[in-house]
Amino acid sequence: MKDGSLSGLSEAEAKEFHSIFMTSFFLFTAIAVVAHILAWMWRPWLPGPGGYKTALDSIQHFAQVSISYLT
Amino acid sequence: MWRIWLLFDPRRALIMLFTFLFGLAIVIHFILLSTDRFNWLEITLPYTPPSMPS
Repeated sequence: MKDGSLSGLSEAEAKEFHSIFMTSFFLFTAIAVVAHILAWMWRPWLPGPGGYKTALDSIQHFAQVSISYLT
Repeated sequence: MWRIWLLFDPRRALIMLFTFLFGLAIVIHFILLSTDRFNWLEITLPYTPPSMPS
């Protein structure tokens, strides 16, 4: 078991796959973040204390919701 | 961090990852479609009471 790993990959192969994997992961995450920003601009999914009716579609509203969840 | 691929077979890991992500996405999308607020295919118009028959 000197050269063998559990997955059968060598260190060079593992490093090569890891670089591809991480690039793909960050690309996927970036697309997901953009999609969530667009979805939030369309219809925010965390209503404020007054419900969706009084919720403001703005960063201010998002900040208030964030603070209310933190405190 | 790259040493994880010495432990886990990339082929199996990718199949599991894609299966999980696809299943999660399907579940989330169907949950959203089942709601009124987040259904993007059928726009729910505000409720208007039917006119009284005269």
